[in-house]
Amino acid sequence: MAAVTLKGLTKKFGEAAAVDRLDLDIGDGEFVSLLGPSGCGKTTTLRLLAGFLQPDGGEIRVDQKVVSSASVLIPPERRNMSMIFQSYAVWPHMTVFQNVAYGLKLKKLPGGEIAKKVERMLRLVRLEALAARYPGELSGGQQQRVALARALVVEPQILLLDEPLSNLDANLREEMRFEIRRLHEEFRITTVYVTHDQAEAMVTSDRIAVMHQGRIVQLGAPEEIFDRPRTRFVAEFIGKTNILRGKLENGRSVALGDGLKLQVVAADNLAPGKEVFVCLRPHSVRLTPSAEEAEAGRAKGMNLFDGVVQRRVYFGDANDYIVELPAQRLNLRVVAPPTQRYEAGQKIFALADPQQCVLVGEE
Amino acid sequence: MSIPGTRVAEWVAEARGLGFKRFDPTLPVWIAAALFVIFLMLLPLGAIFTTSAYTEKGLSLGNYVEVFTDPAYLKAIWNSLIISFWVGVIAVAVGSLLGWLVTRTDLPFKRAVRALVMASFVTPPFLGAFAWMLLAGPNAGLLNNWYRSAFGSETALVNIFTIEGLIFVMALYSFPYVFSMIANVCELISSDLEDAANILGANKWKIALTITLPLTAPALIGGFIVAFLHSLSLFGAPAILGLPAGIHTITTQIWAFFQYPPRLDLAAAFSVPLLIATVGLIALQKKLLGRRGYSTVGGKGGQKRLLKLGYLRWPAFLLVAAILSLSVFLPYGILLKAALSKAWAMPLTADNFTLGNFSFTFFEYSDTRNAIVNTFKLGILTATAGTLLATLLAYITNRQLLRGARYLSFFVLAPLVIPGIVLAVGLFIAYTRPPIVLYGTIWIMFVAFLTKEMPIGFSQTESTFKTIHPELEDATRIIGANRLRALKDVTVPLARSGLIAAWSFIFIGVIRELSASILLFTPSSKVVSVVIFDLKEEGQIGAIAVLGILLLAVSFLIILSVQWLAGREFFAGSRG
Repeated sequence: MAAVTLKGLTKKFGEAAAVDRLDLDIGDGEFVSLLGPSGCGKTTTLRLLAGFLQPDGGEIRVDQKVVSSASVLIPPERRNMSMIFQSYAVWPHMTVFQNVAYGLKLKKLPGGEIAKKVERMLRLVRLEALAARYPGELSGGQQQRVALARALVVEPQILLLDEPLSNLDANLREEMRFEIRRLHEEFRITTVYVTHDQAEAMVTSDRIAVMHQGRIVQLGAPEEIFDRPRTRFVAEFIGKTNILRGKLENGRSVALGDGLKLQVVAADNLAPGKEVFVCLRPHSVRLTPSAEEAEAGRAKGMNLFDGVVQRRVYFGDANDYIVELPAQRLNLRVVAPPTQRYEAGQKIFALADPQQCVLVGEE
Repeated sequence: MSIPGTRVAEWVAEARGLGFKRFDPTLPVWIAAALFVIFLMLLPLGAIFTTSAYTEKGLSLGNYVEVFTDPAYLKAIWNSLIISFWVGVIAVAVGSLLGWLVTRTDLPFKRAVRALVMASFVTPPFLGAFAWMLLAGPNAGLLNNWYRSAFGSETALVNIFTIEGLIFVMALYSFPYVFSMIANVCELISSDLEDAANILGANKWKIALTITLPLTAPALIGGFIVAFLHSLSLFGAPAILGLPAGIHTITTQIWAFFQYPPRLDLAAAFSVPLLIATVGLIALQKKLLGRRGYSTVGGKGGQKRLLKLGYLRWPAFLLVAAILSLSVFLPYGILLKAALSKAWAMPLTADNFTLGNFSFTFFEYSDTRNAIVNTFKLGILTATAGTLLATLLAYITNRQLLRGARYLSFFVLAPLVIPGIVLAVGLFIAYTRPPIVLYGTIWIMFVAFLTKEMPIGFSQTESTFKTIHPELEDATRIIGANRLRALKDVTVPLARSGLIAAWSFIFIGVIRELSASILLFTPSSKVVSVVIFDLKEEGQIGAIAVLGILLLAVSFLIILSVQWLAGREFFAGSRG
């Protein structure tokens, strides 16, 4: 087990910085996801951690010891880490057993002990029946589990995962997310998980670091990232969202124009009069055709808009509406339960809890 | 001034960390391989340029002036251009027709046709030229004899010792290059593209003309350039068929400069235009293919349907069979006949039959026996060293192990644009004088072959490494193996069949090499191709035929084993 510290980490490819002065503290036994769109530098960060790349600036420490910097590079084979690759990288010329045993052989463990450890690990990932197979004879999910077993059997201090589920089909992907979390709870290995899939990060992680253009733009627990996005980028990258533009009047109120006002979660660090963006999740808006209900909501301090249903799309488990707010010709996206059914052209009231209206920065 | 003790200790520890932890024990290997190949390529080229630019008076253009004002030398250049142009035209016509018929139509016996085109490809052009000398020589040529006895004519039907004869034979052994390029492109064009035209109302012939042909246009031009360059650099065929009629080409002229009294300076000066023309044309080809070559054609193969030739099916097959009989059946037949008869021009009756040519060539005649030993020794040495070096180099460029690794492939591929005889001129000059004297040993030929075959070995190993995902190796390292261990345990086992293929390609390239050997051999270091050339002067037709058959048999045996090996590769298509 080990704690990892990234300080001012920088890696350039040519002129462009793929990782740009990145800081991150990962606690012993913690599971942290690096989440971001492709090209945000998350895989580069992981490869820097593994020692496949040398940073141009900053440093990586494991338990206070520098393992990577512009002048020091402990090679990957001496870092006591394991990694799971996007392509699985299961060796096609070795059987499942040989694949998993390889790392133990490198450690020169006696044969009997190797066999015992490999068998236990294969049982854990439910592959014991396939030990003699070659990877070519396995499905994608089974190959992925071989990769997991191979990485875990060497009892690494740190486990690195590089988009390990992106080549699997949707059902298997969902199953493997829980599998990865289960194994983490069993071993408590310090883990860094790279993904572009927010659901994967939500299910598996203790904390999520959202990356954009080589930097971490927000770091926090899954709920925090989702409910309190700090920037427009984070809000739009994680889940669907409405972004409303307006002017901050005082700490709690935003003018959207044409007299339309929105009460928001208190923002202490912003000066009144500034242009701001408000993130309002489609799930957080409640629609109602009844004026009484709307008034009752307003009385309880909810934001109230009246608008017209512009479009409805039926998804089976939900209705997806676009509501036009006539005041500003502003479109609000709303996700409502399938039982709430309104037709295009119908007048409607939309209610939103100020607690769900979050000010976000431009970047 | 004093430094606190702890600071010193820290500094020492850090310096040690810098020095020892960062040092990759495999680094010297990579650097040595890279430097070696750069040296290998630069030395002969440097030798050519310096020799060509020096006369007795010191630095001067005198050699160039002499070479490019003498009408005889200009005639040789002109001959080369004319011959190569027509070889290019014929090769494109024949190669593209066959390539299209084999990939896009319902031509019968397609597999056999492909195999026979492959056979033409493998046949050394000098051997083909020799066989056609026996077939179509004006006096004793077999076809002319038949013609005379059938029609009672006094004159010969064809004379192979002419520019036309030379063009004909060289085209026979150049068209397979165009064939393979066209066949590759045709296999990538999906029928969707053709269907799109069909829906708009084009019939099948119109589709072939307006869609398929334009899509293959870059490959056609590329094919022309390759065939042109191939024939420009050939030495054997023009020497066998042109010299008896007093026809010189650039390559035979360079060879003539080496005959007594040798004029190395002129040979070097004469090599430079050939080199420049080759570089220029390759650059042009790259540009043409790069601009629009694969954007339309590339990607998935897509569904392909075959064009029904209808009533043209069998006439088309007969045409193909006729072409292949000119490049394969007739030459192989005459070689076999010559190898098995006492008098090659007489009918092969029981009286005329003999195995004496084989025992003479293999056991009795020391020249041929030594040449066979030398050839296979060189083949094995070069193929082994070449594969090893190519593996290291391809690994460097593929994994970007050294700064500037991209530029390394430029040096490795340079011999592609250096005709064999030009390379030999450079090596001859470079290695006949100190500090490195290799002339007179087989080692100068080893260096020549190693240089010449490096591109094919390198491309083969490079494409093999490309198919091996780097993560397979990373996965080895992260759980505790260093780079050498990763190479040994994962990369090399996975690349095995590709490396064997590289070895075989180099080996075949070496045993059929003539144009460099012809300048570099000495009596003790003759190889089979050179002996074939020599024996022709002595009229030892039977022995030449035996040696030719030996070369062909070994080549085919190796190609078939590689194909068999590739076919049974169990993890060939697996993921990872």
